[in-house]
Amino acid sequence: MKSKKLTALLLTVAMTASMLAGCGGDNAGGGDNAGGGDNAGGGAETSNAPETEGGSDETASSGDDGNKDIIDFTMFIAMPGPEINDGNEIQEIIAQKTGVRVKETWLTGQTAAEAVGTIIAGGEYPDFIDGGDGQMALYDADALVAWDDYLDKYPKLKAMYSDEEWDRFRQADGKIYWANIFQNTYGESKATTHNDEAFWIQAKVLAWDNYPEIKTLDQYFDLLERYAEANPTMEDGTEIIPYTILCEDWRYFCIENAGQFLDGYPNDGSVIVNTDTMKIEDYNTSETTHRYFRKLNEEYNKGIVDHEFATQTYDEYIAKLSTGRVLGMCDQWWDFAYTVNDVFKQQGLDLKGCNYVPLGLTIDEGMDNMWHTYGDTQNTANGVAITTSCKDVDAAFQFLEDCLDQEIHDLRFWGVEGVDYMVDDDGLYYRTEEQRMQCANTEYKASHLCTYSYLPQYLGTSSDGKNAMQPPEQTSEFFAGLAQPLVDCFEAYGVTTYVEMIGSVNKETGPWFPMYSFSNNMTTETPGGVAWTKMGEVKHEWLPKVVMSESFDGAWSDYMTAYEGCKPEDFLSEMQTELDRRAGQAQ
Amino acid sequence: MSRGKKKAKQEITWKEIKRQKVLLIWAALFVIYGFIFYYLPLGGWIMAFQNYKPKTGLFHSKWIGLDKFKFLFSDATFIRVIRNTLAMGTINLVTSFIMAIVFAILLNEVKNVLGKKLVQTISYLPHFLSWIIVTGILHDALSSTGIVNELLQKFGFISSQINFFAHESYFWPIVAFSNLWKETGWNAIIYLAAITAIDPSLYEAASIDGAGRWAKIRYITLPGIKPTIMILLLMNVGNVLNAGFEVQYILGNGLVQKVSQTIDIYVLNWGISQNDYSLGTAAGIFKSAVSIVLILIANRIAKRSGEESLF
Amino acid sequence: MKKKSLADQIFVICNTIFMVAFVVITLYPVLNTLAVSFNDGIDTVRGGIHLIPRKFTLQNYYTVLHKQNMVTGAYITVLRTVVGTFLALAANALLAFVVSRKRFLFKSQLSLFWVITMYVNGGLIPTFLLYKNLHLTGTFWVYVIPGTVSAFNMLVLRTYMVGLPDSLEESAQLDGAGYMTIFVKIISPLCKPVYATVALFVAVGQWNSWFDAMLYNRMSDKYTTLQYELMKLLSSVMQQSGSADSARNSANSITPASIRAAATIATMLPIVCLYPFLQRYFVTGLTIGGVKE
Repeated sequence: MKSKKLTALLLTVAMTASMLAGCGGDNAGGGDNAGGGDNAGGGAETSNAPETEGGSDETASSGDDGNKDIIDFTMFIAMPGPEINDGNEIQEIIAQKTGVRVKETWLTGQTAAEAVGTIIAGGEYPDFIDGGDGQMALYDADALVAWDDYLDKYPKLKAMYSDEEWDRFRQADGKIYWANIFQNTYGESKATTHNDEAFWIQAKVLAWDNYPEIKTLDQYFDLLERYAEANPTMEDGTEIIPYTILCEDWRYFCIENAGQFLDGYPNDGSVIVNTDTMKIEDYNTSETTHRYFRKLNEEYNKGIVDHEFATQTYDEYIAKLSTGRVLGMCDQWWDFAYTVNDVFKQQGLDLKGCNYVPLGLTIDEGMDNMWHTYGDTQNTANGVAITTSCKDVDAAFQFLEDCLDQEIHDLRFWGVEGVDYMVDDDGLYYRTEEQRMQCANTEYKASHLCTYSYLPQYLGTSSDGKNAMQPPEQTSEFFAGLAQPLVDCFEAYGVTTYVEMIGSVNKETGPWFPMYSFSNNMTTETPGGVAWTKMGEVKHEWLPKVVMSESFDGAWSDYMTAYEGCKPEDFLSEMQTELDRRAGQAQ
Repeated sequence: MSRGKKKAKQEITWKEIKRQKVLLIWAALFVIYGFIFYYLPLGGWIMAFQNYKPKTGLFHSKWIGLDKFKFLFSDATFIRVIRNTLAMGTINLVTSFIMAIVFAILLNEVKNVLGKKLVQTISYLPHFLSWIIVTGILHDALSSTGIVNELLQKFGFISSQINFFAHESYFWPIVAFSNLWKETGWNAIIYLAAITAIDPSLYEAASIDGAGRWAKIRYITLPGIKPTIMILLLMNVGNVLNAGFEVQYILGNGLVQKVSQTIDIYVLNWGISQNDYSLGTAAGIFKSAVSIVLILIANRIAKRSGEESLF
Repeated sequence: MKKKSLADQIFVICNTIFMVAFVVITLYPVLNTLAVSFNDGIDTVRGGIHLIPRKFTLQNYYTVLHKQNMVTGAYITVLRTVVGTFLALAANALLAFVVSRKRFLFKSQLSLFWVITMYVNGGLIPTFLLYKNLHLTGTFWVYVIPGTVSAFNMLVLRTYMVGLPDSLEESAQLDGAGYMTIFVKIISPLCKPVYATVALFVAVGQWNSWFDAMLYNRMSDKYTTLQYELMKLLSSVMQQSGSADSARNSANSITPASIRAAATIATMLPIVCLYPFLQRYFVTGLTIGGVKE
């Protein structure tokens, strides 16, 4: 007992000490913020002291010397996200240049709808808001300022979208209230990674078979089977898992929607839009989906598909991938790659060819695939908005405008020149290994970097015509991070990037794309919404069951019976109405 | 303790009121407090009879009568989640209740003071871990390569690995176990405190009479903590519909969703994430009604049999 | 006595084995969390950490303790724990005292009034509106005033007080003592074990709560709490708020399990030390009989 108490005491003392030391450190770091209080915590107190919940701190009354005109705005983002420190260095630089500082608050431990509901009930809004799934509720509550009277005064902001694109943001009353800030390309696209869904395969598996052409689902599983037979374990003796499927909670898209892509359609998410007939089609019941699940079932019974796939959690899935045991899976890049690639690098598995490359599979040979869509996907369901509580709407719009200024944009995403990135003789930005490490560090991100990630931004090419708007898209940055087996793999297929690797056709998507921006916002108020929710529940239960069944046909027909019971026709007809509306609006 | 006699004693007379003026004033203050903080928000229950929208608020939303209740009770899924909630609630109630009492009594029998304190402190530590951590460890231990499968295979209980999370029949026991794991030590605190209130001289006297350990537990310890047991039992009976949310949500998956979903998960799927506040409120009213009915029945039974009662 | 010794010995052995097993099972998750908290965050992703860190680092604690507002948060948390515990103990004890008086005219009704509060809930938004109208939102008091009286704690206290002999009250009244004196001077000193229990319950609840800080002081850091700051750090792992769209855009911010573990250990350490301290009130055996008449 005594020694336990002692240990506890020591630990407490150590922690208190490092905590105090930490504050000293922060203070030293924020030197240019001289009058801002003794430490980060204290600084927050002084600047927020006269403020009440949700109120906007209009008065520039923070103790900072010499920058009396800085307006402090608040912003609530109904998504989880990383908080930055008060007195963040780049935030201060931006504040000096634009006269605006935005304090971001993120969603914590609630659903977006719940958080927005509470804020609306309270009636006091932050200056900026991105309501996420609760965005419509904000509009309904008349909480947002219409952009129509302002947009013309701010050319850069207006230039974010074409008139036609802006029109898609119009609400029932014909006005624009928000702009989605993601996936918006300026100039030429610099995309090198395929951020979306694909069947992924480890580069070493392709290398082992001398980089064969893999075009169909059958060829894909055939390769996995052959490789698994020849190499049942990894070098260290761990058993390999040829194929796994994530189907935890909302991430079950990994099992659910491959049918639409295998049929050669783009990611409308919940339905297929047949462009010949302009009719909504249900991919859940399509012949291709049927064949896809039959294949999965066959491979499951052969032992190729991970037998624990249906019960694994996301953490377990990522852990499996990280060990390099898993040869392939269907997933979206952002769902696994950031974490898994970090581990590969740390463990040296990237040099052994464990990194995943995307394959643009279709169900039969000779079909075009649209796994990658080249144009921007404009999600009109939510975005940054200015609320009626904002006391200086003009300044708020001016700040949105300033966010798109190239200098500010570079500060947000690249950082400070010479500190966070270098410029070579050709004017190209690059990061040293040390800078790359630093910019990935959590504390550095909080104390130094300030991306304002939910305010207007661009992808693509910078206005200088050379650099990428955001570092991950910078060609040199991309190649610097590419392990040798990937370089070999790309070379063998005669491509240079992930995007070229997947080889999707560059076909423009219709003005209705993506349809999921409508289905995501459906509620149980309409029969279609009820059907949509029920279909989700049925698929959650049945898709893994179908894959794991001993007799596929019986399981599939049971599944279809359950599925029909959800009245998918209600859902489809509402989707059809929306498709007609979107297509009609575009004309 | 016959009721009639008590009643006579408690007759409201001016004299008696005057006598306990202080108590009445205090009680009144507590009633005011309770009314403001617990009963006033119940005005929000009118949401269940409205199509509540944040824009129109509590006072101007459209009235829809009993539509939300009709929706709930005509949905086979809701009936199923009631069953799941009741089942898990009851299993959890019984197991955690018994386990906490047994643990408290056995711990009390540990004569080594240091050991006793140590066990006591360690046992309540898991209470401070979040469900996400505890279920993460549990998921790990029960996976096909986890320790449980390893042990079961080693000792020859099973020939091939069991995927515990793929079978509906394992789900409720797993939830019950995780509750026990996390909360037994915490739940035992109250009984340990009650045991200390037992007069030590009773044990001494019993020892002199030659009573053994079991006799002392049975005739002194258990009766000593019986009022606490009764009160907690009654309170928990009203909580069977609060079988939880997080454990089931994290441990559940598509294969077992028929048995894993509770009322709270249903409300999340069909209410909160659909911007539908009214449905959740309706489900909440239903839960409250059931709880209060259960409590009234349980309390009546307790009173009839002369046991400690809530009111 | 001697006759029993064999059975007694067997009991002691079995009981010891049981206790050891119990300790092993309950200690494991804590030790596992400790190991993960000292393990490199990227390495932890691979899984398979049990009792010993594979790639030792203090970085996770460094990250947790350097989160901004930790000092404010710690201060508010300690304050709310102390103030909240004191207020709750005083209020619940007083209420329990009232309803445990045998002569009290409305004891059944008053108990019922409070019992019902355990099973009803007006919901998030009505409660929010109430606190807002009472001007509690945006203040420190929203942490300690609303939850002060709780039926659960009151009933725990009442059960204990009912067990005390009536003669104590009667003799004090004969000496001319008022109810306040009886409560403070006679009953309360006898209630130490149960007071310690309730204090523990309230203190732990206060220490761990963050939802109220998030809800009622959302846009201001002034009254932030330790747990809320950590929840913000960890919020991206809350799966129920997930959707493909939000994850897609915040994929880089997924907080590793190691940080979660470090945050857990760092916040639980101070509060778990409270129990060993309060335990001394548990073992003070009382000389006055507490058995129900």
